[in-house]
Amino acid sequence: MIYTFCTKTDPGRARENNEDSAVYDEATYLGVLADGMGGYNAGEIASGMATAFIRSEMARWLSEVGKNAKAREIRRALEICVDNANRSIFNAANSNSQYSGMGTTLVVAVFLDSKVLIGHIGDSRCYRLRNGELLQITKDHSLLQEQLDAGLLTLEQAATASHKNLVTRALGVEDAVLLELNEHQVDPGDLYMLCSDGLSDMVGDPEIANILGAQATLEQKAERLVAAANEHGGRDNITVLMVQAATGGEKRGLISRLLGK
Amino acid sequence: MATSFLSRRSEFWRSDWFAGLLVVVAVVALHKTTNLVESLERRFYDVAVTSSSRQPSDRIAVIAIDDQSIANIGRWPWPRDVHAKLIDQLAAAKAKTIVHTTFFFEPQVDRGLVFIKKMKDLLAGAPADSAPGSADTREQLARVIAEAEVALDSDGILANSIKNAGNVLLPSFFTLGEPQGKPDKPMPAFALKSTLDEGSGYSLPAIRGQQPIESLGNVAIGIAHLNQIQDVDGAVRQEPLLVNYYGKAVPSLALLAAVKSLNLTPADVKLNAGDSVQIGKLRIKTDESALMLPQFYKDRDGKPAFAVDSFYDVLTGKIPAAKYADKIVIIGATAVGVGTLFPVPGHPGLSPAQTIAHITSSILGEHFIVQPGWGTAAKFFIFLLIAAYVVVALPRLSAGMAAIITLALFVALLGVEFGLLSGSALWLELMLPATVLVLGHLALTTKRFLMTEAGKIKADEESAETSRMMGLALQGQGQLDMAFDRFRRVPMNEAVMGNLYSLALDFERKRQFNKAEAVYEHMAAYNKDYKDLKTKLSRAKNLSETVMLGGGGAHPGGTMLLDGGAVEKPMLGRYQVEKELGKGAMGVVYLGKDPKIGRVVAIKTMALSQEFDGDELIDARERFFREAETAGRLQHQNIVTIFDAGEEHDLAYIAMEFLKGKDLVDACKEGQLLPVPKVLSIVARVAEALAYAHKQNVVHRDIKPANIMYEITSDVVKVTDFGIARITDSSKTKTGLVLGTPSFMSPEQLAGKKVDGRSDLYSLGVMLFQMLAGVLPFRGDSMAELMYKIANEEAPDIRIIRKELPENLANLIALSLSKRPETRYQDGDQFAADLRIVLGTLTGDFGASSADRSSKSTTKAAAASAGDEKTVAFSSGASASASPGADFQKTVVRSSATASPPQKTGDNPGSATKSPGTSGTVADIEI
Repeated sequence: MIYTFCTKTDPGRARENNEDSAVYDEATYLGVLADGMGGYNAGEIASGMATAFIRSEMARWLSEVGKNAKAREIRRALEICVDNANRSIFNAANSNSQYSGMGTTLVVAVFLDSKVLIGHIGDSRCYRLRNGELLQITKDHSLLQEQLDAGLLTLEQAATASHKNLVTRALGVEDAVLLELNEHQVDPGDLYMLCSDGLSDMVGDPEIANILGAQATLEQKAERLVAAANEHGGRDNITVLMVQAATGGEKRGLISRLLGK
Repeated sequence: MATSFLSRRSEFWRSDWFAGLLVVVAVVALHKTTNLVESLERRFYDVAVTSSSRQPSDRIAVIAIDDQSIANIGRWPWPRDVHAKLIDQLAAAKAKTIVHTTFFFEPQVDRGLVFIKKMKDLLAGAPADSAPGSADTREQLARVIAEAEVALDSDGILANSIKNAGNVLLPSFFTLGEPQGKPDKPMPAFALKSTLDEGSGYSLPAIRGQQPIESLGNVAIGIAHLNQIQDVDGAVRQEPLLVNYYGKAVPSLALLAAVKSLNLTPADVKLNAGDSVQIGKLRIKTDESALMLPQFYKDRDGKPAFAVDSFYDVLTGKIPAAKYADKIVIIGATAVGVGTLFPVPGHPGLSPAQTIAHITSSILGEHFIVQPGWGTAAKFFIFLLIAAYVVVALPRLSAGMAAIITLALFVALLGVEFGLLSGSALWLELMLPATVLVLGHLALTTKRFLMTEAGKIKADEESAETSRMMGLALQGQGQLDMAFDRFRRVPMNEAVMGNLYSLALDFERKRQFNKAEAVYEHMAAYNKDYKDLKTKLSRAKNLSETVMLGGGGAHPGGTMLLDGGAVEKPMLGRYQVEKELGKGAMGVVYLGKDPKIGRVVAIKTMALSQEFDGDELIDARERFFREAETAGRLQHQNIVTIFDAGEEHDLAYIAMEFLKGKDLVDACKEGQLLPVPKVLSIVARVAEALAYAHKQNVVHRDIKPANIMYEITSDVVKVTDFGIARITDSSKTKTGLVLGTPSFMSPEQLAGKKVDGRSDLYSLGVMLFQMLAGVLPFRGDSMAELMYKIANEEAPDIRIIRKELPENLANLIALSLSKRPETRYQDGDQFAADLRIVLGTLTGDFGASSADRSSKSTTKAAAASAGDEKTVAFSSGASASASPGADFQKTVVRSSATASPPQKTGDNPGSATKSPGTSGTVADIEI
């Protein structure tokens, strides 16, 4: 499977700074997105630390292990890596008074040949578009979600709830954190989108599905998603990280195709 | 939808093809509004045209009214008889055609001539008789007057000469413009002779004309115009072959000269409107306005293309007039202030006469430049091609390929134009496409460069931010060196300064002042006045020269810096180090505090890396943590609790319960001995602690007074350093010496055999002996002697030294000091129970009786004994026992009152009693 990555971030209309951060590593098919929180610039620091650290550590590990890594090992590595990131953010927050109390959400995806490992903490999400059908494949760690699960709220009430961005888990706020890690099968043509709540709160799923399903390049889709979130208010930073799966061999060069190899 | 439109539009603004199109449009606009492209084109034309190898005609000569002539003949304008004289000479030499470019528009009248004419009229009109003087005189007078009239009438003389020569062409001049109505005055008849009928608009129209005076016009064989057309840059490149004066086409001087020199008349000139002027068989290609592009010949060997002779030289005969036989002679002014010079291709300034020479030669030699009929279409096609390249192809090419193709196209464009001009005399204007090409390429390259530059700056910024984040992350993990390495890659700004500052503080907390200094130095390079950077830097400098925790090989477990008030409190692991408590076997003991829970701890440090090397170090470290772990499991009221173990800056440490107390080393010295019951009680409790530990399979291996803490007021006994001995004992140090004292070692431990709890109990026996007797059971002058005694000699009976001790106690001691583990106490509980039984049988005033004995033993004054009972460790500096202080020097209530009197003893252990048949349990022992 060949994966193509694309990311786009925008501070939105209401905020001046951007506390979101998204990075990817095309060599190891790794994507990381984080939405930071905390006063001053601390949110930026937290999300930046999380993405930089996880990308650097995971990409190094993945490239060292190579293509033969078993999903189980990758899981373990990812957990350790996230745990280390958690601790560094936590320690940095404790040792630098200006960063105290910072934290960040996280979605991290490691794509394998026919599988994807998606880990997340907090309310940053991963969606998958398969055959025109959009599915949210992560479940927020948020008070709202807990209330929904407990049957305290209906979906309608949830849509108008005021406490949308209260997360129940975050990276860097305690000395340990539990990463929710799931494995999904990947089909050719799947489109994965990691996003911060700046997108998912502003743009409804049908509209997201429309934009993702349109005929356009990944970059155009990303831009349209951001623009759509801005049109609906853009009250938070908006970040998307898109990953397109395609069957292998499409990237063969012209020469090799000419040579019939 | 609005979104997608927006995004597409923003793309379109930035796209390369749009930039290309913009350039094309801009260049065309430039071309239309300014002469920039035209001027370039003309420049190139000049160069190309004059590079032609065409030769000027040798039938044309130029006679110049130059500065020399003016100087010799007089001020301009000259009397016309001067011109007449030259024409006479040229006529005599049989010149083919004489072209005189001087305008003779006004009659030249001598002021005396008027009077001469008046006098002549008067003379003629008067009656013969009325006039005074004789008829002869009158006749003479009339002759003089007639002579004067002829001599002074220079116009007449010139007309005469021209008439005689019969081949002189004179110029007329026209004001060009579109005529609105009828001419001011009709063209005189003499001028009409040279004109052609032309009504199709082929020639340039004129509205006013100036003709030579009638007397001269009548005698000249042709009147032609001398209008020159200046190009956009002021140069003369085109020749208007015909000027149209109300339906009559007046030929140019050059054209008429050519016609005359071919012995033709204006009637033989045929006009092919819009295309060419035909003289006989000679077709002169022109544009639609009868403008011809003449060839301007280049100078050869520094000489002008046409020889220019001075008027004066010819007049005086210096240049023989015969030279001009059968030539077209062009006479004109070149002198300063007389004629006007115009730049022409290849010449910065050329007089009209010389220009006419070039043009006439061009006509006669058919050397004209042609703008072909298909030229316009070709030009447009090439322009479109280049524009398409700039807009469509260029954005898709790589930089290198684009440069090559653009260069090739540019060279091709100029090469074609140059080749056509100099080779085929065809002028295809390609400067516009060439300009589009160059500007388009430059614009796109610049745009791309700026874009990639912007992209690169952005990428740099991003990676800098990543580095900063990684730095923070690593710092958070305590990997300060790597964090600094990351921060160093980040361009400095205030945020990074803040991060670096906190990193430097972290280094300070870890006492790595040299590294803190490096960070401060790095910061100072950016901003010296940041916060209190200067003081921080200078202090770090001073401190980095001091030996720091774990650093510097000279001091094993070198002391921590504790007095630098302003310094951040040093950290060891999670503990803040408050102060130094003392020096232990392999390192310093500190008082520490866990800032999170406020617990006060004692931190024992060991500079493992200074004691071990390579594999041994790894081994030692492993052992250290294993033992720390096992010891950590022990929970007993008489065992010091271990909280934590770790390693930092090559310093292994164990954090343990902090005890307000003192070890028992002092209590073993003569004169400071504790009362016997106290000793027994302490040892019993130690024995119980050991029993507990042994049940957990933990062997202490280094039981000695220094490792037993005793707090006298609360009567608390605690065994410390469980397992730590294991790390050090029987391990080779760097210097190859065994550390520690073997005085308390069991024989099997000395032999290097595997030891168990019974070995600890033996050591406890030795300690009991020492605490009661004030001396060790075995002493030797050397390590070897001591070890031999421990291994082979029976321990002396304690009652030799302290007679008053009860026999059951002496037996108990003897039993505990048995050589073979099997014959000793098998567990600590038995030991303790026996001790308590002895304790119960002691007489109440035991302490007092001991005082009697003091004087007795003074006979044995072995001066060496003090030394003997101490150390046998030879690693001088690092030796535990050699160091005067104990591990814990914390405030202690000194034991004092019950100190035993000093007891010296000889080193004769010979009388030690054997403990007969004491094996197995305490119960067997007789008390």
